[in-house]
Amino acid sequence: MVWTLLAIMVILLLLGFPMMIPLIVAPLVVMLIYFDNLDPMMMAGQLVEGVSAYVLLAVPLFIFAADIMSTGKTSRRLLDFVGSFVGHLRGGYAITTAAACTLFGSISGSTQATVVAIGKPMRERLLKVGYKDSSAIALIINASDVALLIPPSIGMIIYALVTGTSTGDLFIAGIGPGLLIFICFAIYAYIHARIFNIPLVEKAPWNVRFSLTGKALLPLGFPFIIVGGIYTGYFTPTEAAGVAVLYALLLEVVIYRSVKVTDIPGIALSTGLVTSAVFVLVAGGQAFSWVISYAQIPQMLTEAVMGTDPSALYVLMIIALFFFIGCMFVDPIVVILILTPIFWRPAMEAGIDPVHLGVVITYQAALGSATPPFGVDIFTASAVFNKSYLDVIKGTPPYIIILLFIGILVILFEEISLFFLYLL
Amino acid sequence: ACGSDEDAGTDNGAADGDGDETYELRFATEEYEGQLQYEYAREFAELLEEKTDGRITTSVYEFGGLGSEVDQFEMIQNGGVEFAIVSPGFTGTTVREGQLFALQFLFSDDEDVNYQVLNESEALNEDLAAKYEERNVKPLAFWSEGGMQWTGNRELREPSDFEGFRMRTQESSLILRSYEAYGADPTPLSWAELYSSLQLGNVDGQENPIFFIEDANFHEVQDHMTISDHNIYVAMTTVNADFYNDLPDDLRQAVDETVDEMRPAAQEMQLEMNEELLTAIEEDDANPTEIYTLSEEERNAFRELAIPMQDYFRDDVGEDGAAILDKLLEEIEEAEGN
Amino acid sequence: MLHWVEKFILSWSIIVIAIMTVGNVISRELTGSSWAFSQEISRLAVIMATFMGISYAARKGRHITMSAFFDLSPKIVKKALSILNPLVSAIVLFVIAYFAYEYMMSTYASGRTTAALQIPIWIMVMFVPLGLVLGGIQFLRNMWVNIVNEEVYLAQDKKDYDEQ
Ligand code: NA
Ligand code: NA
Repeated sequence: MVWTLLAIMVILLLLGFPMMIPLIVAPLVVMLIYFDNLDPMMMAGQLVEGVSAYVLLAVPLFIFAADIMSTGKTSRRLLDFVGSFVGHLRGGYAITTAAACTLFGSISGSTQATVVAIGKPMRERLLKVGYKDSSAIALIINASDVALLIPPSIGMIIYALVTGTSTGDLFIAGIGPGLLIFICFAIYAYIHARIFNIPLVEKAPWNVRFSLTGKALLPLGFPFIIVGGIYTGYFTPTEAAGVAVLYALLLEVVIYRSVKVTDIPGIALSTGLVTSAVFVLVAGGQAFSWVISYAQIPQMLTEAVMGTDPSALYVLMIIALFFFIGCMFVDPIVVILILTPIFWRPAMEAGIDPVHLGVVITYQAALGSATPPFGVDIFTASAVFNKSYLDVIKGTPPYIIILLFIGILVILFEEISLFFLYLL
Repeated sequence: ACGSDEDAGTDNGAADGDGDETYELRFATEEYEGQLQYEYAREFAELLEEKTDGRITTSVYEFGGLGSEVDQFEMIQNGGVEFAIVSPGFTGTTVREGQLFALQFLFSDDEDVNYQVLNESEALNEDLAAKYEERNVKPLAFWSEGGMQWTGNRELREPSDFEGFRMRTQESSLILRSYEAYGADPTPLSWAELYSSLQLGNVDGQENPIFFIEDANFHEVQDHMTISDHNIYVAMTTVNADFYNDLPDDLRQAVDETVDEMRPAAQEMQLEMNEELLTAIEEDDANPTEIYTLSEEERNAFRELAIPMQDYFRDDVGEDGAAILDKLLEEIEEAEGN
Repeated sequence: MLHWVEKFILSWSIIVIAIMTVGNVISRELTGSSWAFSQEISRLAVIMATFMGISYAARKGRHITMSAFFDLSPKIVKKALSILNPLVSAIVLFVIAYFAYEYMMSTYASGRTTAALQIPIWIMVMFVPLGLVLGGIQFLRNMWVNIVNEEVYLAQDKKDYDEQ
């Protein structure tokens, strides 16, 4: 039965079917062959159940907020602001990209939204100062991964949904690893620029910096409103996402007047499109989980890999490995939905902090989804930049090595994720 | 690794007992391992296997994998699982009469009376059960998971303490109204989000039996607990009606016997677990919780506001529901008289 | 026309979710009472967006797909897959739509409603078979453009990268 399930998944994925198809077909076939007392219509019920959770509302809302801001002036203001301070350094434009992705990640919960908002304008600037296209694109897709770790994070929302862990705590715990990625990328940008002799750009004078800081001030208020609001109990993470939309509209429609009220339905349409593409996977993931739970596959699997009384480190390593491999093939949201419940019990029995586990899992999901041979971010970038698969992955190896290294640090030292929580 | 390839239910061939047919059954619960429903189901499964000399084996499912409580109720209706523990609260939008368990101060203050009523009540075991049987679900037993208590970020002793209090409730219009009657601002919330919402102060308090409060660590994020016993948390042990009716007589009898033997066992488990975990909350010095037990007088103040909800129930749910409620009230009174 | 309705539903579902969520926060902070109905309306909107969006995403070629092997394949393989895949996808969606229709009828028969607004559940579920059928039809269209045209189309509105 496990093999039937896997075979269907892998074959249909390799044939290039939209991912929702294997996700639905595999459990349906297993159900029809092995469980004739399960009425297939119940699977339709699971599709509905899958998208019914209240916390999931945060996903379209955060995407909506990001879409409003990338339509308007916010993302460019962030770029200009960061660029005026670090653009003149060696590798300054690459550092700017990493910093802007980190900042925009604190507005958007999804890596894809970040690739679009920051990647599009930044790629042109990188090419202009002499970066090769392959290294520009590799930088953009990997730096955008930070969006999944810096709050708000769709991956963490899904993890919280499955495990009942506090979304607020997870959000805070993602900051450490997110900043670590930024710092390492910035160092690499410096080294890379040295080696390839990327020409220096003129330093921005202080009056320009002040004026650009002033212009970026309101967008920079975002993370504080979101994380602060959640932390002081003003609103739940889902409500924070709603407030983010309100704030984005306030900025772009009322203050900057760069988005017209009549533009809003069009922006909502593009949000709806992404939401639908992601949520059919969430729905299918629920149906998939439901069938494998019914067949009690998780128990078999964990007994087989975990053995008896494994150490916390061993469990974390195994989990990281499974998520990394899973995310190579499948959308991170689906992987988190399906694998988390499987590993939850052994992880808790091994005494792993649920928040730390959430960070490790989200980190692996972010890493895996930007890693060849397969990875959603690669396909997003290929669509956004109109580049073939090979062109997109050419420049990624250095970043993947850096990310793997940080990944090991995050597993070994739970302080990296829990540090900011201790402060509170 | 194709472990349990075998279909559940009848294995193969002749449905009408040649006497040695075996069954692999499934028992869904709404709680996790270590919590009452799961432990009940596990003991139920062992007992049934023993009684049938291994002809019936049952896998117990903890909450989560099979979807929400409502999904599980659909599964037992369709025969996806043969047994399930169902909280009538979660089926209130399908079997509306089941909402009567949401009425506060309905049952007796005497544990033994409630035990007797749940086991023997005609209103529940026949009339209400018939409502579920219309949906192909047969309730085999009604049992208590313990008294419902309040926790809050402030002390809850009298109705005025509920003024402006954001009370987390299950999604039920009857429960919402009950707390509105106390002056609270009831907020329906999935329990998956409850811990963090209490921690952050998005909601001020919640209600649950003691064992659940401790197990879900709600006391860690609440300063006060009020032993209010404003209700008892009633669970139903249910079986898919078609499956039950098609069982060979001897096996059906084994199921019935198991259900009966589980009655005192469940009561004992419940009392023990709630008492033990109350002590655990009291002794948790890292997360101090002020525990206050309502006096009879204080409970009466709430009772006065809760009783009119019975009329709301009668109007809202309709004649059959009203008749079940009235009969149950009589039965409780009678049992108290003895 | 149908296309317009799909787009309308998709964009307004998102707007409604935003209004419900923000409205609930504002109402709670200003008046101290929450909108009990906001979660139910939002849930309906999410279901509508998810399932009614299937066909629009299929038309635009926006469903998440692992296209590594497809991208690396020669044109003749691409052409074959671009006809076969939408056909199989359409069949799958129609089959699931049938089960979803049965599920809708069962929720209709059970009379189950939401708690606060008492919206019949079948109305929420209705968008599942509807969206799946429309999605299936769109996949058939995606197949059709690949049959009548020489170029490889990833979706009705999206040519393969090599063809652009
Ligand atoms: Na983020
Ligand atoms: Na990958």
